Amino acid sequence: MHKDPSYYIQGVLDNNRLMLARTITLVESILPSHQEIAKHVINELLPYTGKAVRLGITGVPGAGKSTFIESFGTTLTTLGHKVAVLAIDPSSTRSGGSILGDKTRMERLAVNDMAFIRPSPSGGSLGGVARKTRETMLVCEAAGFDVIIVETVGVGQSETTVASMVDFFLVLQIAGAGDELQGIKKGVLEVADAIVVNKADGDNINRAKLAKKQYETALHLVTPSSPNWAPPVMTCSALEEKGLMDVWTTVNSHKKIMTASGELEKKRQDQAMSWMWFLVNEGLERWFYQHAEIQKLLPNIKKRVEEGKMAPTRAADELVAILGKDLLL
Amino acid sequence: MATGYEQWVELATKQMKGKSPDTLNWKSPEGITVKPVYGEDDIKGLPTMGSFPGMAPYTRGPMATMYAGRPWTIRQYAGFSTAKASNEFYRKNLAAGQKGLSVAFSLSTHRGYDSDNPRVAGDIGKAGVAIDSIEDMKILFDGIPLDQMSVSMTMNGAVIPILAMWIGAAEESGVKQEELTGTIQNDILKEYLTRNTYIYPPEPSMRIISDIMAFCSKNMPKYNTISISGYHIMEAGADSVLQCAFTLADGVEYVRAAIKAGMDVDTFAPRLSFFFGVGMNFFMEIAMLRAARFLWHKLMQQFNPKKPQSSMLRTHVQTSGWSLTEQDPYNNVIRTTIEAMAAALGGTQSLHTNSFDEAVCLPTEFSARIARNTQIIIQEESQICRVADPLGGSYYIEWLTSKIVEGAEKIINEIEEMGGMAKAIASGMPKLRIEESAARRQARIDQGKDVIVGVNKYRLKDEKLDFEILEVPDSVRLEQIDRINHIKKTRDNAKCQACLEAIAKAAGGNGNLLEVAIEAAKARATVGEISDAMEKVFGRFVATTQCVSGAYSSEYSEASSDSAQIIEGLRKRTNDFLAKTGRRPRILVTKMGQDGHDRGIKVVASSYADLGFDVDISPMFQTPDEAAKMAIENDVHIVGASSLAAGHKTLVPELIQKLKEKGAAEIMVVAGGVIPPSDYQFLYDAGCKGIYGPGTPITESAGKVMDMLEEKYCK
Repeated sequence: MHKDPSYYIQGVLDNNRLMLARTITLVESILPSHQEIAKHVINELLPYTGKAVRLGITGVPGAGKSTFIESFGTTLTTLGHKVAVLAIDPSSTRSGGSILGDKTRMERLAVNDMAFIRPSPSGGSLGGVARKTRETMLVCEAAGFDVIIVETVGVGQSETTVASMVDFFLVLQIAGAGDELQGIKKGVLEVADAIVVNKADGDNINRAKLAKKQYETALHLVTPSSPNWAPPVMTCSALEEKGLMDVWTTVNSHKKIMTASGELEKKRQDQAMSWMWFLVNEGLERWFYQHAEIQKLLPNIKKRVEEGKMAPTRAADELVAILGKDLLL
Repeated sequence: MATGYEQWVELATKQMKGKSPDTLNWKSPEGITVKPVYGEDDIKGLPTMGSFPGMAPYTRGPMATMYAGRPWTIRQYAGFSTAKASNEFYRKNLAAGQKGLSVAFSLSTHRGYDSDNPRVAGDIGKAGVAIDSIEDMKILFDGIPLDQMSVSMTMNGAVIPILAMWIGAAEESGVKQEELTGTIQNDILKEYLTRNTYIYPPEPSMRIISDIMAFCSKNMPKYNTISISGYHIMEAGADSVLQCAFTLADGVEYVRAAIKAGMDVDTFAPRLSFFFGVGMNFFMEIAMLRAARFLWHKLMQQFNPKKPQSSMLRTHVQTSGWSLTEQDPYNNVIRTTIEAMAAALGGTQSLHTNSFDEAVCLPTEFSARIARNTQIIIQEESQICRVADPLGGSYYIEWLTSKIVEGAEKIINEIEEMGGMAKAIASGMPKLRIEESAARRQARIDQGKDVIVGVNKYRLKDEKLDFEILEVPDSVRLEQIDRINHIKKTRDNAKCQACLEAIAKAAGGNGNLLEVAIEAAKARATVGEISDAMEKVFGRFVATTQCVSGAYSSEYSEASSDSAQIIEGLRKRTNDFLAKTGRRPRILVTKMGQDGHDRGIKVVASSYADLGFDVDISPMFQTPDEAAKMAIENDVHIVGASSLAAGHKTLVPELIQKLKEKGAAEIMVVAGGVIPPSDYQFLYDAGCKGIYGPGTPITESAGKVMDMLEEKYCK
């Protein structure tokens, strides 16, 4: 790994694919020394970021996310947009390894010079995904991509993590056999800016229309996050490339409305702020757990709390006070 | 218990020094627990028993006298890179006692590309003969009387242009359509499952099949319009129960499609034929063929056929190509002999025996002769043809037959509940089952649980390759291109265009595609042009790749601590790599060119992920340039290129070159698959860092890859 941040910065700003790819690898590295360089790089690239449309896409496995992005992304490139796709794939909890197969489902987009697709292993921790993806997004913006699509599998908390770093969060669904709402979490409905029912093709069209109705009803029960935007439900067929332009129009009108009302800027500020606080908490936590004295005292304190010999509140006070002592010195 | 069983247990226990004979039970890959002995009790009341050959449900064979009346047809599948060379080969074989022809086509032809298409530069003449136009087809069958010779063609993707050109060539040589006999594979469902030589999406592909069935039932009554193939399913890693179940489920789907297209079941069902693969699990293979016949008869009853032939399963068999080894390759003659015996005892109607060199290269004249003689010797020297279904009534075989019926029926029911095989394939279920089975098999081999002589046991210290290797010269491509140019210059272009427009119109409407394609073929339209005309309406299919995880390592967790330690050791190395370099070793596995056999890369991808690698999989059919782009954008450490069809000498060096051109020379390239050892040096010289031939345990190749990565990144 190169030590000089300017090596990466210049490469990214030149939109050199090789350098862009290597910078993302740097950002994703778990080594503290790499993260140190990455911080410099991101900081220098920051003035060149912020102009892209940031789009998050989630959906249950089988909803056709990759096929949707393949068709949607290709459509956007024909409109002259430069599209970066960041796909997060789950790592195995047992081996730590992962299978990154997204590009097999994005065959055309993968060879399209207007597009850049980078699949990344989730690598276990959610904080890890959040940090990496957020920074990768900035790197891609600095390289000149004006639409950034972040794709995630709808499992665990990954959707809300992704929703907290994008401008527009799109939930992809398919029409199934019966109760559509079973498959969707309330938390996801709350952060969705639009629901798109995919696979509205062939003998599935009527089912898709029915599902659309059901989601509309469900969305009425959720308080929208903005008074100016009621999340719409749409149908599309990524396979037959139908309804994709409607999705893009919706994303654009969302951007227009949110920009006019000042909410977009506010949203991004809030995101940056909550990201800072997340990092502060993470840093404090790391500091706490790595503290030599705490590590020494913790087992005994834990044991006393478990045995009921010490009140949890007092234990917490004592532990935090140890950190406080450091500060006084 | 029947007389004597208790006594047997007693004897056996004594012989085993007090241990129960149950400890000899063997769990087959299918999950069937096989005991060390069988008796009368095991076969009481089995539904598969109690009939004679030629009688429903045909468990014992479709013909009453079987080989006592006439032995199976020796049908060797072959295709050399050019039409002329193949033609000479066919004529020689016919003179040497072969009764039918079987044509293997070039990968480029399979996928509907003309030889001058830049996407297929590395594929022309690989795996078979390249056909671009009716002129090539006429050269292919020059001097062969098509009114007398049954011709079998392995074609699925570009089935319309190829069949049309064959019919057209026959007509131009004075043979009428109704005189034509033979079989076209035309089994598109299994292409989506395993072999990947499709062109269009499933729905229009099924329509193409209906069109062919409709055309042939009217005009070519002696022609078999489909060969429902389990062979590729087995080769992709399926065990016997899976092969049986998925093949028959495919069959049911085709029957439904034909009935939906308005055909009467008795007009086409007697012309359906099957194609099974037979491997080294001797009795299992025999039982599978018997079980398949029984089940097909049962499954067909829902369509109320009137003719007995409509529910009679007739099959071609090919010995397993996958079971052949690159190491100590003459052993393959013995393997093929055993498999051929299983096919014969299972009651096949025709048989292809593989050549011993097929794990290394395409067959030569010498190896093809040995392969053919394997069958002739069984037929003419061993006397096994004298009795129909000689194993009928064997306790073990009958019991095993019923077990396979049981297992396959369960899977078929599951598929029916999903709404049939097309729906099941769309869900990815069959593919994942096959890949899981393949990954488990690889793990058993890597641990030595499944023995392969010369590979994981009794391996030779020094291996010297001492037989001739067939190579496809690059001139083949240039000759084909010359001929295309000549045809395009000399044909009536206006007429040709009109014919192509008629195809596009038929594709969008109700016309019969084969009927209009025959006219186009005669007007000298090329394979690529006819395929494109349909593609305009149908689109080209893009596969989605799924991959199992955990199957490889789970075979290890059931195993001895030794093997489990190997896995743990490799996992530790990938973890240490992460700790030292900041990320896991990342590998892109890719399959360049038009060869669609993806078992190898799937097994590698799935097992490497189990070992702690981050594994990128490329889309199918990539060019070296596209693979290089993907390697760079995903920023992998290493690319593993798989090659099974002789494209390695062009594709691998080109990939290395493209990486260099794009400034990523540090991305290493290794190769795997069917690569003749004599080409190793060529590839090393081109910059390839490692070559892992067939039979290399995953743990070994992964270990070597880690050696290189640690050397480069951890020091």
